[in-house]
Amino acid sequence: MAPFIIRRLFISFFVLLGATFIVYVLVASAGDPRNALLESTDPGKANKIAAMTRNLSLDVPIIPRYFAWLGGALGCLIGKCDLGNTASGAPVSGGLAVAMGSTLRLVVFALVIAIVVGVSIGMITALRQYSGLDYSVTFLAFLFFSLPVFWIAVLMKQFLAIKFNDWLKAPSIPPWVIVVTAVVAGLIAAGVVGGDRRRRLAAFGGASVAVALLMIYFAVTDWFAEPRIGPVAMIAMSAITAVAATALFAGFRSRIVLYATLVTAVVGVICYFALDSILADPTTLLVVGLLVLALIVGAGIGAAMGGLYRSQAVKACMLTAFGCGGLIFASQLLAALPAYSAKVNGVVVATIGATTPNFSGNFWETTLDQLGHLLLPTIAIVLISIAAYTRYTRSSMLEVMNADYIRTARAKGLTERTVVVRHGFRNALIPITTIVALDVGGLIGGAIITETVFGWSGMGKYFNDALKIPDPNAVMGFFLVTGTAIVLFNMIADITYGFLDPRIRLS
Amino acid sequence: MTVPPTTPPDDVPGGSVYGPAAEEATELFQIYEPPDGAELAAARGKSISSVGSVEVLKVEDLTVGFPTEDGLVRAVRGVSYSLHEREVLGIVGESGSGKSVSSMAVMGLLPKGARITGDISFRGTNILSMSKQEQRSLRGRKIAMIFQDPMTAMNPVYTVGFQLAEAVLSHEVMSKKAAMARAEEMLNLVGIPQPKERLNSYPHEFSGGMRQRAMIAMAVINNPDVIIADEPTTALDVTVQAQILEKLIEVKDAFNAAIVLITHDLGVVAGMAHRTLVMYAGRPVELGKTEDVFYSPRMPYTAGLLGSIPSAGETGRLRPITGAPPSLINLPDGCPFSPRCPLATDICRTVEPELAPTDAPDHLGACHHWDRLAAAPDPTAFFRTESEARR
Amino acid sequence: MSTEEKAAAAASAANGNGNGNGNGTAAQGLSIVARTQGQLVRRRFFRHRGAMISLTILVLVILLAYTSIGFAGIPGWWIWNYYTPGKVVNRGAPTLSLWPTFLGGDGFAIGEHPFGQDDLGRDYFALTMRGAQISILIAFVVGIVGTLIGVIIGALAGYYRGWVESGLMRFTDVMITIPILVIAAVLGQKFGGAGPLVLAIVIGLVLWTGLARLIRGEFLSLREKEFVEAARALGAKPTRIIFRHILPNTVGVITVAATLLIANAILLETALSFLGFGVRAPDTSLGLLVSTYQNAFATRPWLFWWPGLFIITIALTVNFIGDGLRDAFDPRQNRVRA
Ligand SMILES: Nc1ncnc2c1ncn2[C@@H]1O[C@H](COP(=O)(O)OP(=O)(O)OP(=O)(O)O)[C@@H](O)[C@H]1O
Ligand code: SF4
Ligand SMILES: [Mg+2]
Repeated sequence: MAPFIIRRLFISFFVLLGATFIVYVLVASAGDPRNALLESTDPGKANKIAAMTRNLSLDVPIIPRYFAWLGGALGCLIGKCDLGNTASGAPVSGGLAVAMGSTLRLVVFALVIAIVVGVSIGMITALRQYSGLDYSVTFLAFLFFSLPVFWIAVLMKQFLAIKFNDWLKAPSIPPWVIVVTAVVAGLIAAGVVGGDRRRRLAAFGGASVAVALLMIYFAVTDWFAEPRIGPVAMIAMSAITAVAATALFAGFRSRIVLYATLVTAVVGVICYFALDSILADPTTLLVVGLLVLALIVGAGIGAAMGGLYRSQAVKACMLTAFGCGGLIFASQLLAALPAYSAKVNGVVVATIGATTPNFSGNFWETTLDQLGHLLLPTIAIVLISIAAYTRYTRSSMLEVMNADYIRTARAKGLTERTVVVRHGFRNALIPITTIVALDVGGLIGGAIITETVFGWSGMGKYFNDALKIPDPNAVMGFFLVTGTAIVLFNMIADITYGFLDPRIRLS
Repeated sequence: MTVPPTTPPDDVPGGSVYGPAAEEATELFQIYEPPDGAELAAARGKSISSVGSVEVLKVEDLTVGFPTEDGLVRAVRGVSYSLHEREVLGIVGESGSGKSVSSMAVMGLLPKGARITGDISFRGTNILSMSKQEQRSLRGRKIAMIFQDPMTAMNPVYTVGFQLAEAVLSHEVMSKKAAMARAEEMLNLVGIPQPKERLNSYPHEFSGGMRQRAMIAMAVINNPDVIIADEPTTALDVTVQAQILEKLIEVKDAFNAAIVLITHDLGVVAGMAHRTLVMYAGRPVELGKTEDVFYSPRMPYTAGLLGSIPSAGETGRLRPITGAPPSLINLPDGCPFSPRCPLATDICRTVEPELAPTDAPDHLGACHHWDRLAAAPDPTAFFRTESEARR
Repeated sequence: MSTEEKAAAAASAANGNGNGNGNGTAAQGLSIVARTQGQLVRRRFFRHRGAMISLTILVLVILLAYTSIGFAGIPGWWIWNYYTPGKVVNRGAPTLSLWPTFLGGDGFAIGEHPFGQDDLGRDYFALTMRGAQISILIAFVVGIVGTLIGVIIGALAGYYRGWVESGLMRFTDVMITIPILVIAAVLGQKFGGAGPLVLAIVIGLVLWTGLARLIRGEFLSLREKEFVEAARALGAKPTRIIFRHILPNTVGVITVAATLLIANAILLETALSFLGFGVRAPDTSLGLLVSTYQNAFATRPWLFWWPGLFIITIALTVNFIGDGLRDAFDPRQNRVRA
């Protein structure tokens, strides 16, 4: 493996080098950054022009200027980064680091959601090929493919932020909303469950009644005015998590795994009551620590109780523990919502920026503030990437499910769940992982529009502002990061491919 | 499928119309059938154990249709057969005649859209009316299957040992270690050297023959009563084919299993099967003891099939049946073979013949004119000359 | 890879079978109809309902855009043009009304300015149509240029191998390293002032990488096929082999990829114009219109809805056509096997 990686690194390095040359020459020749100043009536403009000429070495011809820049940039390899100065004289590396952190915060979160949701939907639609659900999802996927981000962003700002915040001040749920939501939930459930008409009708009825009851409960108790996860809800949801985790990893043929996850859920519910005081105003470190602890406890329970099904039990229990931890976290967050809302005058879902300016509060309030700002851009990114993941997964899963070895797996008498997950999904994962890895590399530089629309001062905005000038050093700073990310993830894609597919596992 | 030029009877060197063809036919049979019936029985006695009297699998009037854009594909129409303990039933027929589809129906592995009617019973209980769960627990445990292409039949991302152990674990509660031990035992049984090390190999590290051995191991690992082998050797090197078949028989005897052997290779059927079922366009057209079907076919299609195999003694000319099988969506009226059949008369084009006893009660044929074949001294040669005369 | 080959083999086998019937007397009574690959593809495409509806809508939109206000000096049938300011009537609200009177609406009426007017009193229907013209023009030019270059580079790399291949593919790698939006924005900044056509061509010049890789892959597998070997053995020249033997077999892949390229190009153009690196005023494009009026959404939403609706319609229909073409050329995903 090592020689392969080294070879790839070597090639990638020169590929990146070539790309920097192209970008540099194009940007440097795209226009003279001093033009805006030349036209201005600023009295000190001669000085400013001179300063900019110095900052960007505009008196040097483009090619030598590129090599001068390259010399500084190559310093990064030995820890002495010099990416030059921006037009205004600040060092590129400083501003870039800040922008990068901001972008990563936005992208990573969105990406995880998009992958998990997109892959799940893709799998379900593949297994229910040619059903109403499949057609609807296909249509929606094409719609999202065709949506300009900036256009949907404007709509979201209006309806998910401004209108929603207004609604939250005096939340009331009109009956028609309950009916529509219940019907949609029922249709989705029926589509996911599939099978014959009776099965689908049962699913439709069950899901729509459940959702309707839940909404009526919300409406009657005015839940949204003071949202919380009460003890009863906590117990119910932990149990559901346990059952779902069991269904996903082991099925119910042997009860052992179910018992293990249920025990985990019970521990989770106990923590829900016990941790209240510790979680009043925790540090981030504490929260992360608790999550890790939860996973360890889950694994322990699974290992202790799993018996012959140990490995499945460990996985299922860890998932249950994670779910319970998430529920406790959510319940604390919701509890802090009224106080937060009062502090920010009801602007719970923000439309611009990464935080409310000059905001201060406890851990839960600052978390809420960040989440409120992350919400819209995250949805935007999720919407546009989820469509692609859904389609990739669907087609790759369809291809795999037609393979001979799936037939063999069925002929062995494996349960359908094992056939789909262990044999189908595991193989479909090979191309999906590759594509996702390639995508991730592109996403870091691809958030340009999203960041612009939502006033997020990350890499995208940095690039956008720099190119307007045009400021070659700043653009190159941006490109160095995004280009490296692409090259790196290209490599990661290759390596994971080799890792997932024993046929090309390298010796 | 192209139609090679056929020679009119006059071109056959040697004068008489029946003479040379008959000689050829004898040669033809020599490659896979010992000339003497007693010798045949002796050979069988060595390799094929005696057939039990208990019926393990019974298929009755099975039909399978696939609704498609172009219409209903009637892939199987009215297949019936029974399989006794330790029996080997050969199923032969042209590509697309429904051999695989009918056996997939027995396994319960047809796609969701397939329309299945009829009865399939395993030791007296109807499989088709079982719950999904019951069907699943039968699959791989009581009825196992071996597929044609060992290259693609195994999951590339898991080790052979894992895939074998998985077959055990899906039907029995035992530790992984015990399942692996059983897998090793099976690999050993099917003749894979160093089975312990080979457990950790991936399928791509096996040769085709070894993979098919592993598939056989996978099929018998749960000690099944019935093994369905769908063209188990077609994808293999000729030199390996014989070994694999030998292994299959050996393993079958070790486990007292019955086999449904699907193949294109009439030689294989002749050498291994107790009884033979011939299928054409989704229909069973002839069923009987292998030697009856081969020595005295009672359906022109079977006779044609027997005449289309290359043989060592032949002069290089093949005699495939002219024409192509009918579309399964628009079947012709009457006998589906009538457009290609040299013996066809008007009744053949209007009334579809039933599968009915011919000259022996256990030799069934679906042909209005089986008696004309019976009257001919050598039905295969008779079919050939008749079809050449038609041209 | 192997499954693809198998599918291809199966398809050609099926064809061979169909044709083979022709020469025997036994063909009567059989209903296997011999169909050429082209006929099969066409039939499958015409059966794809989504693609057919999309094709109809797209053609209508293109006709509407280019005939209404005219193009390249040829006058259209719409009374307003997109550049002359006028008097703003009723805050520029649209006069289009589709709601029938018996449902409490104003009945069907087009009115003076069906899509409304912008701040300067220009007719917004005319502006939207101009935007659509430019966006469509750019998308198609980008699609054509990108496809041409992608096919040429992919074909050369796939056919010749050796240093030609490694050189071209390394160059492709270099281009892939630069995010599309980044390189397009840089080019837009440089060439955006020179008009939409120039912009489209330069963007097409960098948007071929995916296609080149795809075509190279196709060529690599096709050049090993027997019919190519045979042609080579018969002494055919490389150009003849490429154009007569290999290229026709990649038509499906190319068509589908080109369609999807066009769909991407539409969104790319709107994004560039939105960021200010694409089409510049006084000309306009759908992206530029959305960008200009995004803040007017709360007060004059029609300025935002109309161009957005046209972007989505065009992109969606092109995507669906691409999907229909893919299904038509490669129906393997639709087949369920026993
Ligand atoms: N899922 C399906 N949908 C539609 N038609 C099908 C399906 N599966 C099989 N068929 C059709 O059923 C017919 C019988 O196929 P089958 O696979 O049983 O043939 P076979 O006798 O096994 O042939 P071969 O010797 O080539 O394996 C074929 O015409 C095939 O096209
Ligand atoms: S029934 Fe008629 S057509 Fe059919 S096989 Fe017999 S003779 Fe031929
Ligand atoms: Mg078959």
